[in-house]
Amino acid sequence: MNKIERKEKFITISKNQEIELHLFDKENKNIIYSLEKNSKLIVYQYGFDINNNIEIQLNGENSEVEYHYSLIGHQNTQYNILVLHNANNTKSNIYNHGLNVLNNKMDFNIVGKVPKKSKNCICNQENQIINLKNGNSTILPNLLIDQYEVVSNHSAYIGKFKDDILFYLMSRGISKKRGYELLIKSFLINNSNKQEDLINLEKEISKI
Amino acid sequence: MLELKNIYVKVKDTDKEIIKNLSLKIGKGEVHAIMGPNGTGKSTLSKTLMGYYKYELTKGDILFNGKSIKNLEVDERAKCGIFLAMQDPTVINGVTNSEFLKTAKRELTNEPLDYFDFIKSIEKSLDSLNFDYSMIHRHVNKNFSGGEKKKNEILQIQILKPKFIILDEIDSGLDVDSLKIVCKNISSYLKENKDTSILIITHYPRILEYIKPDYVHIMNNGKIEKTGDITLALETEKSGYNSINKMNGKEKNE
Repeated sequence: MNKIERKEKFITISKNQEIELHLFDKENKNIIYSLEKNSKLIVYQYGFDINNNIEIQLNGENSEVEYHYSLIGHQNTQYNILVLHNANNTKSNIYNHGLNVLNNKMDFNIVGKVPKKSKNCICNQENQIINLKNGNSTILPNLLIDQYEVVSNHSAYIGKFKDDILFYLMSRGISKKRGYELLIKSFLINNSNKQEDLINLEKEISKI
Repeated sequence: MLELKNIYVKVKDTDKEIIKNLSLKIGKGEVHAIMGPNGTGKSTLSKTLMGYYKYELTKGDILFNGKSIKNLEVDERAKCGIFLAMQDPTVINGVTNSEFLKTAKRELTNEPLDYFDFIKSIEKSLDSLNFDYSMIHRHVNKNFSGGEKKKNEILQIQILKPKFIILDEIDSGLDVDSLKIVCKNISSYLKENKDTSILIITHYPRILEYIKPDYVHIMNNGKIEKTGDITLALETEKSGYNSINKMNGKEKNE
């Protein structure tokens, strides 16, 4: 098997800091985030035909992460994210959206880990992959929790856009093609309100 | 405006026939109501008119302004001016009401949007529907209450300006105050757009007190059994749908 080349990045969010990142990636990356006490990290990351490994270490008490990851795949793609709740009162909300455009593989491996020593944590993940054709997609939504005082939710959906949604759009005069564009854009923008994200994303969507 | 000529409708890929030899003519500016018990094919009829993918028109024809629409796609029917206000409007996660309405308006008119006019008409509709302005930035029907979903359908009518409106149980799940607001807005739309026709699908005559129908049809077993005016709706409410069946049986026997 070919070894996947990845660039390495280490990012530390210092005590009491809040950071929002908007990333557009076209090359494979390993990113490790380390969050100190009372810090907050918000990320909107958009990947195009890449493989990513993300590790988020919630090392300080009351640290918090909100991670929005969207991936467009025209070839085989792999995305791994590991969230480590290493301190009390830490919180993670992870939203992973993948669009498998052709008949390839798209694999998501999503892990939230709360060890026994970390109390009162919130560990949530929401995962979706839309197959536009007959791609072979998998999601592994793993919650490894060794502590009772935790709030944790996970969801995983693999499939196509629902026919009833398309019917509703078309019943208002929107063509099938435009309806798909609207659904793809909304799905991949993944709750970002930044105009620049939308413009960059629209450029990529127009290539589908 | 709309003419159904001896239509038969079945569930696609099955033998289950729901509508059997149904004919109906709705003229410009007319308001028709179809009432009937559960499972009689009222909602199937409304969705068939819009071209719903799960139903198949096996015989007959649907004419809109003299032209057959039976082979048109759903969006092409909407572009003709047909609008289906749904009983349970679909949630579209991620798409805001604003984006949805802008896209629909552009697609329907095939022209660039006049943003000033668009915003003005949205504000006017939101006020008149007693809707909070923030709803325009919410995702379509997501976390909307039953009443909000129905009001959102009316908002779309006011913005997209259809010529033929099907109200599929728009009164279900509405409290008295919301029903009044919804009906008042539909009546105002009819006053401003006199050529617009409406087909109301309902179980109860309550909505017909606010939007007066020219004709009331009682539907049973996939066909129209009886046609009359508002008094037919009131009689049916008093005596139930079984009495219509019995009456029809008696008439046939005689």
